[in-house]
Amino acid sequence: MKIYFTKINGNSMGMYALLAVLAIIAAAGMYATYAMFSQGHYITGMNNQIPWGLPIVVAIYCIGLSAGSLVLSALSAVFGQKEFKPFARIAVFVAALLLVGSLLSIVLDWGRPDRVMLPFLYLNPRSIFSWNGFLYSSYIFICIVYLWAMFTGRDAWIKPMGILAVVWAVGVHSGTGAIFGFINARELYHSPLASPTFVTAALSSGTALMILILVSTFKATGRFLDNRLIIGLAKLLGPFILVVLYFVIVEYVVRLYTPSTYEPTSFVLFGGNVYTYIFWVGLILLGSIIPCIILFNPLTKNSIPWIIFASLLVVIGVFCERLIFVLPGQVFPLNLFPDMEMSSDFMDGVITWYQVSVAEIAQGLGILSIVAILYIIGLKLFALLPSEARHLEHEL
Amino acid sequence: MKRRDFLKLGGILAAAGAVPAASSLLHAGGTDVTNGSIRYGMVIDLTKCDGCGECASACRTANNAATFPDEKINNHLLRIAHVKPKFPNSLEQAIPLMCMHCDNAPCVHVCPVKASFVRKDGIVLIDKHRCIGCRYCMIACPYKARSFVFKHNEGFTNPNIPKTMHGVVEKCDFCVNRVDHGQMPVCVETCKMKAMSFGNLNDKDSQVSRLIASGRVHRVREDLHLGAKVYYLGL
Repeated sequence: MKIYFTKINGNSMGMYALLAVLAIIAAAGMYATYAMFSQGHYITGMNNQIPWGLPIVVAIYCIGLSAGSLVLSALSAVFGQKEFKPFARIAVFVAALLLVGSLLSIVLDWGRPDRVMLPFLYLNPRSIFSWNGFLYSSYIFICIVYLWAMFTGRDAWIKPMGILAVVWAVGVHSGTGAIFGFINARELYHSPLASPTFVTAALSSGTALMILILVSTFKATGRFLDNRLIIGLAKLLGPFILVVLYFVIVEYVVRLYTPSTYEPTSFVLFGGNVYTYIFWVGLILLGSIIPCIILFNPLTKNSIPWIIFASLLVVIGVFCERLIFVLPGQVFPLNLFPDMEMSSDFMDGVITWYQVSVAEIAQGLGILSIVAILYIIGLKLFALLPSEARHLEHEL
Repeated sequence: MKRRDFLKLGGILAAAGAVPAASSLLHAGGTDVTNGSIRYGMVIDLTKCDGCGECASACRTANNAATFPDEKINNHLLRIAHVKPKFPNSLEQAIPLMCMHCDNAPCVHVCPVKASFVRKDGIVLIDKHRCIGCRYCMIACPYKARSFVFKHNEGFTNPNIPKTMHGVVEKCDFCVNRVDHGQMPVCVETCKMKAMSFGNLNDKDSQVSRLIASGRVHRVREDLHLGAKVYYLGL
């Protein structure tokens, strides 16, 4: 079956209106970023107890979505799922864009973004960040070469590039998990499971996001999208969610069982605070249980609206997982004197809440808007989208 | 010897002469920090410390630490922690906490630009002109020794020390400028109880070495195997 990829027309009023709205949000985000540097980072919710806030959550979330959507493109090229070939180009393109978004979020979170080239000049082989700087930049490059091979019809390149891209995506997201997993100082970070959890969460959130992007893009451009393709993706999504849930359960049970980590873990799970709700309602109920019921229930698993609803929940649920990963490890005080009571005038021994600020939210939304603008421009400039996405069986 | 060869030889000899001249710049104030004979450390006698906090305020003034009324962004290079066991009526102990100048410093391991480094004499320093302000070191440090400068620091209490700009991380550096000029860190000099001592851990006759040799010293979070060089007597 020959698949024809074409550019979108992109002349409708709706599209210009959408672009205008996105541009306003992006401008607000850039203004918030400017304010952080002209007035100081105290306008964010971050402080000396909580040095990493929402920007880091957004960054690692985007990396996850990126790694997940790339694997989707590899389904046809590497894993022999030929029916997903119509999505090969768009998935790689989205993967590259989301990585650009996450890099923006990381760099604009720094105190000195003007020194952006220094990590490349002074590599520190013991630093996970240094490794990630190398992995992320080479990952964008691999995505571009992969796209180029598909656009120019170099079929011999596509499979090797696909394999390389999948290996790199796993490396990129293992590296992102390792940022936290390698930190011995914080009980809620230090974990060998951090990297595998991040990779599986990437698969589930990336697949869910691609379902949402595909359905909305095909609908907005009036192109035909075979329901069986979306149902096929949803069949992958269900098991991904279960694997993430399994890793999360293992991690938290081990931490609850260990006396030295019991206190911070029970603070998250049973503390009755905002993180308790994010964990149980956001991650477990909305992000895992309800989507699983939808995706494994014979009544709903073949219904497109239900699949879209489940995908939306998964995208939100994995964001909650990221919040739970980054924030409580800092909110719960460091344990300098184990099993003793500690206090000082530097927030020692007390819980310091992270109050997210308008500036950070604006910056995060602004970066997501920039990604969306680039996505629309990309569709208009390049033949990324198939003129129609039919299941292979139509051929027979 | 031709004239050209003579000029070449002269150039080589001149360059050879310039090398020792340049390396002498590293011998700041007469102490050679490059040959590994010095390993600085500190011993704090908690049985003498009464928690008055004068070391902390002297440190703040001497090092131009970023000082703001908002406690959440007010930087502490040295702070007094109050610690007591979880027993009823147990006595509270005052413990001055600062950068522990670990040999295996996690902040140095995680720094993506090698802005944090352990100098040959064991002092952990930050190159503030290289720091990108990513704050990974603040995540990695188990002692919360590091603070981010969250906005422009107005205070400039000690004109001899550059103050840290907005957007990078600062911490205790054992008053490296004073140490390099043969002085003691300002906290050691300020302490009226003479509870703090600072010196060369490699010199077995130094006061710090003798206190450590007494076998009654401990370090904070020794379980993390970081090789901290701030020891506490009576912890």
